[in-house]
This record gives sequence, structure tokens and C-alpha cells, in this order.
Amino acid sequence: MADNKPNNKPLISGFLMSTQLMELNACTRCKECMNWCPTYAVRPDRPEITPMYKIAKFREMLDSQYGLRAKLFGPKPLHEDEINKYTEDTYYCTTCGVCGTVCESAILTVELWEAIRPNLVARGNGPYGKQSFFPKLLKTDRNPYQAKQEERLCWVPKDAKVDESGKIAYFAGCTAAYRQQALGVATVRVLNALGVDFCMLGKDEWCCASALVRTGQRDVMKEHAVHNIDALKDRGVETVLYACAGCMRTATIDWPRWYEGYIPYKNVPLSVYLREKIRSGEVDYKRSIDYTVTFHDPCHSGRHLMHIQGRDWAFEAPRDVLQSIPGLKFIDMERSREFQRCCGAGGGVKAGIPDLALDCAVNRLRDAEQVKADIIASTCPFCRRNIMDGRNSVKSQIKVLDVVELVAAAMGLDVTIPENPYTKYQEQDTIVCKDVCKLETVIGKEAGKDIVGEAH
Amino acid sequence: MAFYTLGLTFSIVIALTVVVLAIWLYGMYFNFKKWGIGSTGYQEPLAHSFWLFIATWIHEAFKDGVWVFIRTLILDVLLLRRTLRRSPVRWVMHMAIFYGFVTLAALSGLGLFMDIIEHFNILGMAHEAEMVKKSMELPFDIFGYLLLFGSTISILRRILLKEVRDATTAYDVVLIGGVFLITITGFYAEWMRGNAFLVGDVFANPVYAPHFALIHTILALCLFAFILPWSRYLHVIAAPMTILANRGGE
Repeated sequence: MADNKPNNKPLISGFLMSTQLMELNACTRCKECMNWCPTYAVRPDRPEITPMYKIAKFREMLDSQYGLRAKLFGPKPLHEDEINKYTEDTYYCTTCGVCGTVCESAILTVELWEAIRPNLVARGNGPYGKQSFFPKLLKTDRNPYQAKQEERLCWVPKDAKVDESGKIAYFAGCTAAYRQQALGVATVRVLNALGVDFCMLGKDEWCCASALVRTGQRDVMKEHAVHNIDALKDRGVETVLYACAGCMRTATIDWPRWYEGYIPYKNVPLSVYLREKIRSGEVDYKRSIDYTVTFHDPCHSGRHLMHIQGRDWAFEAPRDVLQSIPGLKFIDMERSREFQRCCGAGGGVKAGIPDLALDCAVNRLRDAEQVKADIIASTCPFCRRNIMDGRNSVKSQIKVLDVVELVAAAMGLDVTIPENPYTKYQEQDTIVCKDVCKLETVIGKEAGKDIVGEAH
Repeated sequence: MAFYTLGLTFSIVIALTVVVLAIWLYGMYFNFKKWGIGSTGYQEPLAHSFWLFIATWIHEAFKDGVWVFIRTLILDVLLLRRTLRRSPVRWVMHMAIFYGFVTLAALSGLGLFMDIIEHFNILGMAHEAEMVKKSMELPFDIFGYLLLFGSTISILRRILLKEVRDATTAYDVVLIGGVFLITITGFYAEWMRGNAFLVGDVFANPVYAPHFALIHTILALCLFAFILPWSRYLHVIAAPMTILANRGGE
């Protein structure tokens, strides 16, 4: 039943920086954000989910408590229905950040949404839907799939060489370890083939906790950030490679906010590292990948990091890697790089509002169909998962692969995943090369039965 | 020609100006203090202070060094680079309104200052002050036309472009209509004084010219002191401050 009674529970705004409160007044209502918002594109009947309206609403609520009228006559009581509606609108956002890219007032919208959400959580209105499982799952299992930490490396082939410690580390992330192991195997094989000595954290690799930050549930965040940084420091790591855009973003932007000591290592996207190897002539391609491939820029390694690590790392490195592959015909989608259309999985949307995530994914799939791509390549397992779901829902023929898997296939490497306790949960497109390379989809018996669909 | 009309005297106008400025300043103080209830950083303690808001803003704006601040100030605040990237037409409109309004406001302030010098004959410079005021007539006209050009584009966009027209709200109408009205009354007051730039004496009417000048002044001051700090039009101040605090943004 609707709870429309006014109450004295205060509006909480303490997670917002004072300059972010100023941002609420900086919106000029130019409506540019509405032209680009991926969720509004699939929910055009709900303008209230767009940045402009969400900013206006929070400003209105804040003014009702702290504005001139409130100062003269006292704050207005807040209505629970109003706050609950606002909470829903706020969580109908993938935190993709395209609104921030096009904002004429330079409002840092991703930071703003991620600062508004903890206030709603603290007030008892957020998070949304199944997102509330994240803290408990991470606190208990240290990953969102209820998997055993001891089995983090169960997918690593017996003949692969992975060190206990070293200057280079590969941070695989939960999804590559438990749900998209083809990505993990391809990464390990490629690094081995290039003669790179690297280590992995094994059971000491905890979830990056991206989902907690995105959904405003910051409580367990510190434990994960501090643990992972210390684990990497203990192994003497100087460079950490990421084949997961979500982990990369969180490790680069979020972890340092929770860590008080010095962080001695550098975070590097795997595609950047591979491009260096390709440029130095160390990559030996043996096969031709005769497909038309487009690249989906993950929000987390693209827009979120472009101002920290530069546009070249964020956008050009994965494209350069793809274009180095023999036979591969590369084509960009109309919306690419900083203007890319979000796949819809981020910001906890995949877990909280799966139908919204699916509709966004279908839109992105249509972008790829427009350029007649056979394969959508990406560097984010979550984007991949969601675009595959969108693909399945409309029964499209497009396959979704990771850039490193295409590199491994072109290098002629054996990427067979050893049988392990999580084989039954696997669901991913793969490229299988014998005489010629073919695209296939592998679906385990218990795929897609996780408590929460994604932990982005 | 007498400027003061309807019983207003020089002293009353000065007193009203001080009151208007005080209201504007209090409005800004009020908003800065409201913003100050936020924190000083990610997961940092709450500021709850006007001064800590100022300190946080300075810290954020200069985080990447003074050169980034200056670059942002020139490219993103003064040249509206982010608007240009999105829409050249909107950029022309904003530039015309921004520079028209800001320069006219500055000229008005200077004019008032010269009025004070002239009235009290400070340092015996009454005559020089009058000369300065005379030399300001042309810039007043040029920037007035610039403002008129910008506000005309903004009104035409809302009338002619369906997409913009459909999205127009009452708030847009009040702000754009207000700016347009202030511009038009300013021009008409100028034209009624006679010998105006471009139109000469066509509209000259010495009896009602002061009345129109007064209406124009009241409208402009109302927008400045009673509406900007107390409504969502605060973005006129908050947007450039945000651009600087975020060092140009994404």
C-alpha cells in the first residue's frame, strides 16, 4: 500500500560533497543529457529518470529542508512515496556517465549519482531490488557468485605458468574466475605465449566491490579495497593487468579513496599491455580471423577513465589490438568512444532492474547490426554478459567476445577450459579454431541461475 | 535631462542600490552556506560552514594546478567551449547574452560610480566624470545590441524549433522573457532620450524617457537581486563555479 504520509525522517545529504550540492544548482536545463541517456532511450515515457529531472528533484527536496522557505517557516515534511519514487528513478541509471560527457555545466554526474545513492541507502530507501544482496554476499563469500575463494584459480590449465608473486599481476575478477572462464584462460595463455612472468592472487583476490560503490552500499567496500591493495603489495607487484573494465575502474578510482597508505603499483588495461607487445613485434599471429568486428567501449574503462589515463588508453588501445589481427575487418559503431551507448548492465541495473538492462542491451545490439558486424568485441565481462542476453532475447546471430579471446585465437593458442566445479555455470560465446575459426556459444547446465545476475 | 523621476532622488537611488546589493550578497551567502552542509571530500566529515564550502571549492578548483584553473576559466567559462561542442547556434546565443549582460552590468556599475563622483564633485572631477559617462554611450549601445541579438535568437529558437518549443517550461519563459523585456525597455529608454545609436531622434520623448529608464532599472535589479539567488536561475552563478570546481568536467 502506498505510504504517502509525511514523516519527520530527515533527508540525508551527507555523502554529497559541498561542491556536489552546488552542482545541483548548476544544471541549466539544456536537456542535452536527455538526448544521450541510454535508459531514457528505452523508457521514453519516464523523463523523471533522466539526469536533468533527477537533479531538479533532489534540489527541490533539499530546498524543502534547507531553502529560504524552510528557514523562514520550517522544513516541509517529506512524503515516503515521493522519496521512494525518487529512489526508483535514481536507480534507473547505469552510471554510464554520458550525461557528464555532454553536460554543458561540467557536472560530474557519475560521482553525483554515486554520492546520492548512499544517502538513500542510509535513509532506508535504497538500494533497489536484488542489489541489496551484494553486501551480504561479499561479506560472506568475498565474491557475488557464492563461489569458494579457494577455487579462484580452478580454471587455470595445468600446463599454464602462473607465479605466486612477481612484478606483474593479472587481476582476473570474479566473472572471469567463475562465469566467463574462457576470458581467463585466453588471458593466461596469451601472457604465457608472450613469455610474461606474472602472478595471480588466487584466494586472496577478493571481489573489486564495484557493485557496492555503484549502488551506494559503501559499508563493506573498505575491507575489499584494503585487502586487495595489501595483497598486491605483499607480492611485490609493480604492474597490475586487468581484463575487466569494472575491476579496472574500481581499482583505479575507488580503491585509493579507501586506502590510507602508499600504492606502489600501476593499473594497466590488458589491451594497452598487449598493444605494447604487438608494437614491439612480440606477438606472432598464426591464424586469420575472417570476421567483421566492432568494438563496444565499456563505460568503466572508457568514459570513466579517459580523464585519468588518457583517451589513447581508454579508446584507442583495444581498437589498435583488434586492427592488428590478420583477416579481421574492424568497423566502429555510430556511437563510439566517449559518446558510446551503454550496454545497460552497469550501476547495479542488471541486478536491480534486469528488464531495463535487457532493453538497453538490445539497443546496443541494434547499433552493431547497423554496421553489419559479426562480432561485438569488448573488454568488459559484464557488458558481454548483458549484450549476449540482449542478443538471445531478439535471437540475433551476432556473437560477443572479449578482445583477448580474439587475440588468443589469432595466435593459435589452445584455450580449452579444464573441467572444474564451475563448468556448469559457463555461458559465453567462444571462437573455436581448427582449420578455420568458427563462432560458438557454450551454455552450461546451470547457467544464469545466480542470485544476482551481475555484480557491476 | 533629469534622470530621476517619480520622486526619486540621488540619495534614494544610492540607498536602494545598497539595499539591492545587500540582498544579492545575502542570497549568495545563504546559498554558499546551504551548499556548505555537504562534506569536504569523499567520505570526509561534513563541512556545515560557509567558509568550509569556500575552502572546498578552492581546493577542488586548484587541484590540478593554477594553469588548469586558468585554462578552464578561459576555455570553458569565458569561451563556453562545452556549449560550442554541443550546439554552435546555442553557443552564439549564450555568448551574446553572457557578454551583453555582463558588460552592460559592468558599465552600469561604472556609470553609477561616475554619478557619485559627479554628484559630490569628488576631487573636483565632476566634469571628467560626465565626460566618461558620455564616452560610455557607444559601448552601452553596442553591447545592448549584442544582448538583443542573443535574446532574440533564444526566443526565435523557442518559437520556430518544435523540439525546443515542446520542451519549453514556465521557468524558461520567465527567464528568457525577463531578459528580453529588460533589453527592450533599456533600448526604448535609450531611444526616447533621443540621438540614439542607429535610430537617431525617431523615438525621442524627453517626458517619458526617465520613466522608462526607471522601469528598465527596476526590472534588471529585480532579476539580479530578488530572482537569481533565490530560484533555479542560480545556475547563472553555480554553472561557472561548477565548471571551475570540476576543472572543465568530463
